[in-house]
Amino acid sequence: MAITLYDFELSGNCYKLRLLMNILRVPYDIIPVDFFPGRQHKADWFLRLNPFGQLPVLKDDGLVLSDSGAILAYLARKYDETGQWFPSDPATMAEVLRWHAVADDITASSSAARLALGFDYDFDIAKTQAAAHRIFRLMDEHLWFGEREGRDWLCAPAHPTTADIACFPYVMLSEEGGISRQDYPALRRWTDRVRRIPGFVVMSGIFPAGRALEQTE
Amino acid sequence: MSLSLTDPSWYPIASSDDLPFRHVYQGQLLGRELAVWRADDGNVNVWENRCLHRGVRLSIGINEGGELKCQYHGWRYANRSAGCTYIPAHPADAPARRIQNKTYPVREAFGLVWSAANDDIAFTPFPGAETGTWFALRPMPVNAAPEDVHAALTSLAPDDQPAELLPALGVRVGTTLYFVQPIDANRAVIRGLLAHEPADAITTLRHYNETLTKLRDRLERAAARKPIPAPLNPAFDKVSVELSTMPDISIPRGNTMTVVVKRKWTSAEGIIGFELASRTGHLPTFQPGAHIDVHLPNGLIRQYSITNGPGDLLSYIIGVKAESASKGGSKALIETVSEGDLLAISEPRNNFPLRRDATRTVLIAAGIGITPLLSMARFLDKSSLPYELHYFARTDDQIAFRAELGALHGKIVLHTGLARDTIGQTIATALGSWSRAQHVYVCGPSTMLETVRATAAAQDWPEEAIHFEYFKNDKVIDDSSSFEIELARSAMTLQVPAGKTILEVMRDAGLSVPSSCEQGACGTCLTGVIVGECDHQDVYLNDSEKRANTAMLTCVSRAKSARLVLDI
Amino acid sequence: MPNIDTLTHNSWQVIAATEEIGIGVVTTTILLDTQIALTRDADGLPVVWRRSDEQNGDEIDPDTIVERLPVITGYGYIWTSFGTPPKELFPIPEYAEPDRVNMSCGSIGIHVSAPRAVENFLDMGHFPYVHTDILGAEPHTEVKEYDVEVSEERDEVLATKCKFFQPRAALSATEGMEVEYVYRVPHPYCSVLYKSSPEAPERRDVIAIFLQPVSEDRCRAHLLQSMIDSTSTVTDLRRFQQTIFGQDKPILENQYPKRLPLDPRSETPIRADKSAIAYRRWLSQKGVTYGVIPLAS
Repeated sequence: MAITLYDFELSGNCYKLRLLMNILRVPYDIIPVDFFPGRQHKADWFLRLNPFGQLPVLKDDGLVLSDSGAILAYLARKYDETGQWFPSDPATMAEVLRWHAVADDITASSSAARLALGFDYDFDIAKTQAAAHRIFRLMDEHLWFGEREGRDWLCAPAHPTTADIACFPYVMLSEEGGISRQDYPALRRWTDRVRRIPGFVVMSGIFPAGRALEQTE
Repeated sequence: MSLSLTDPSWYPIASSDDLPFRHVYQGQLLGRELAVWRADDGNVNVWENRCLHRGVRLSIGINEGGELKCQYHGWRYANRSAGCTYIPAHPADAPARRIQNKTYPVREAFGLVWSAANDDIAFTPFPGAETGTWFALRPMPVNAAPEDVHAALTSLAPDDQPAELLPALGVRVGTTLYFVQPIDANRAVIRGLLAHEPADAITTLRHYNETLTKLRDRLERAAARKPIPAPLNPAFDKVSVELSTMPDISIPRGNTMTVVVKRKWTSAEGIIGFELASRTGHLPTFQPGAHIDVHLPNGLIRQYSITNGPGDLLSYIIGVKAESASKGGSKALIETVSEGDLLAISEPRNNFPLRRDATRTVLIAAGIGITPLLSMARFLDKSSLPYELHYFARTDDQIAFRAELGALHGKIVLHTGLARDTIGQTIATALGSWSRAQHVYVCGPSTMLETVRATAAAQDWPEEAIHFEYFKNDKVIDDSSSFEIELARSAMTLQVPAGKTILEVMRDAGLSVPSSCEQGACGTCLTGVIVGECDHQDVYLNDSEKRANTAMLTCVSRAKSARLVLDI
Repeated sequence: MPNIDTLTHNSWQVIAATEEIGIGVVTTTILLDTQIALTRDADGLPVVWRRSDEQNGDEIDPDTIVERLPVITGYGYIWTSFGTPPKELFPIPEYAEPDRVNMSCGSIGIHVSAPRAVENFLDMGHFPYVHTDILGAEPHTEVKEYDVEVSEERDEVLATKCKFFQPRAALSATEGMEVEYVYRVPHPYCSVLYKSSPEAPERRDVIAIFLQPVSEDRCRAHLLQSMIDSTSTVTDLRRFQQTIFGQDKPILENQYPKRLPLDPRSETPIRADKSAIAYRRWLSQKGVTYGVIPLAS
């Protein structure tokens, strides 16, 4: 029985799961939910799946899961034989979860601005934009020092983790919320690296990166 | 001090570390956005962040190593010149070379990348530059007026050792240098340099980062209490009149430039390589398959194909065949021109453009015909597009550009010493049967071209899929006919007598018409035909183009009818 | 004050999908820099007025609204005008065919002018780069010669015989095929495209974009699909169209200047841009100044 993903194409949170499942080569079926304009995520049938009325929802093996960060951890633990995407050693796991929390803050700021400007949601645009800039400044600093310390990803290991997947979409879509990334060169370089992960797929609004020099040789 | 759009000063706009290979960096200076990228050869490009086609930001495009590819329609722009080399919507055409994005001056020095709003002044290192090896701090963007940022940095200095102001919003505080990059009226980036890399680099970098973060926070709190200055409002340059209408392909003859022979070497038996280098800056953009006219010391003009790969514009590399039977052209070049000499060359012209939309490209070269195909292979190679190159030569010693071929990743097959019919068989196997979006490009002596055309046709390759360039026209021209030509757009009717070409007659009448080889091989003098039946004696047009009678080469071709009306 | 030319002032402008407007509930929006409000009455008919202090979501009795703006519904959308609009909207006859699946696809805000969005809708050269593996894919990038005319009697720009090779032309397509498009621009801020339906090749699917000019550099894109498709759900069809439009959004938002420049020397056209050039000239001739940078006088 395959995984079923209740999904909306333009949702960055749903995309996190599509992205990880593609990277891990986990097959899944999509049940499209008319989030906009249909507001199906507030329909009775959906609320029975997730009372919080939010996408994504993932069904696997009789389980019904919600919250993109939690589902990322589940998918990694269950399907990633290398154990790299959500490592089990306590220190790294805490680091990954710390960045999952940042990802939720990115959703609350960058995604909210995007929903306000593009989908007429009632959020304070200036406030959400300012909040996103504060987070991006911190990420840029963290990634810049990481580059100097030999670290390409958000967490310490020499490979990406679900932390990078969780933070990526609403960073990459920030311009739709009127949030430019011009002041964050290290963040921009990190988005190149994420887009070059083998198995990377796009969502509408995100373009693939060109091949890196190493990949062409 | 308020900012000016015409400020000629040089400012740092990025750190060297901000430009890893195959990345495009988004910058800004004095209100103008910049797309900054490092090519594979190390050269840093600073361009206006706007594709000339429809104004989309180039910073969302892709750095392909020798070219930048716009995300909207895939237009390619060459390293150094920012000239457009390929427009995917029209894959069979070589774009008007003068489609060129706006570039800004650039210099990479002291761990930073410097640029300016215009070319008015040359780059000069800051005072004391020679005293250090220089180590860049983490850049600190600040949402405050650049002059306020500069003043705040100055006040970092202790009272007993005041800061030293430097030109262009620079300041020296102790042994640390700070440059303020003026992004816009209310935005700046602090770029600091230490004289030498410190022993514990990370700790030092973090220390400075913390200091500058606090400075930034103070500046932004102060800026929030003041009225926000209006942002700078730069204008975009207008496109030339020719390009604003549908730009056409041909480039008129005329402009020459002087290059220096940087290198001359024997590439193979009977083939001499010449590296013709620019004396200042870079050479004009070209597309694969292009050639230049070289003006020889004895007054003759000869065409040579450019072998370079994408974005390789500091010099053109050509291959010249030593032909004892030549009219004196190549011989003069080989025997009388040495390293260090100056030569006049034309801008590149392309009558043999490469499509980059093929699912399979077969390149067939014979002898000196390798030269344009080497360029094509290099472009396809750089974009990881599939191709096979078959290079025929009489002997192994006659294989030229071996090292360059060895650096390619595609399928390169050398065929030496094959008998005539074996060549035919080899080509038949190499081509195989045709399917959609496959193309073959051939260059070499006319016997080779004929063999490929016949073989391809026999294997159902359509004419549009076979592309060839003749270097010379071996046919004997029969110029015994006489006829009348009417020039539709010049309101003239002229008589063309036996022994004179249409081209000559038009020039005698005072018209300025482009030409290059004047043998009916290169296609430069191609002219539209409105009425009349042509007597095609060229080797440039293919059979269906000749049958269509809508264009002719005026340097050798004539009329079968008594009169032609030409679209000129 | 922005430059609202006479034509823009007097045209119908789209503001909402009819079914999304609650009966007796206020929806607010912005049209041509002006705050307006709308609702639907008990019969489901729209009422539109210049907003004073009504808030989005407020309950309202439509009968209390005395000073109303002109209103018309068409193609599943509500249209209004600040001037004297024509009697009818431009025609899309296919919409009324009984076996059509008609739907709105959501109204999406974009930070660019309405004319830029129309021009993008007319463009095919971007298919392989922006709608990769759906409407186009390298190496099939060629835009072959097509025909463009400005029809005086219908007052439209019309592009015909537009052909492009598409890996997945529509949701119902199962393999790549060369598709032929027809494009119409029947209104400065609206465009309609026709492509043969994979399910019934002799008939055409219709996709339209109606742009609400919010300000000179912002608009809301209201998308209409009128399809021949007996198997897909509305959710599936919406998803396909939203995927496409979501890919255009970042391109449009990264274009400068945001207003469409009508001076031919602002940008570099190629033969594939014939319809865009005709559209820009048509706007100039009609005296449109809102959302464009007009020719210098």
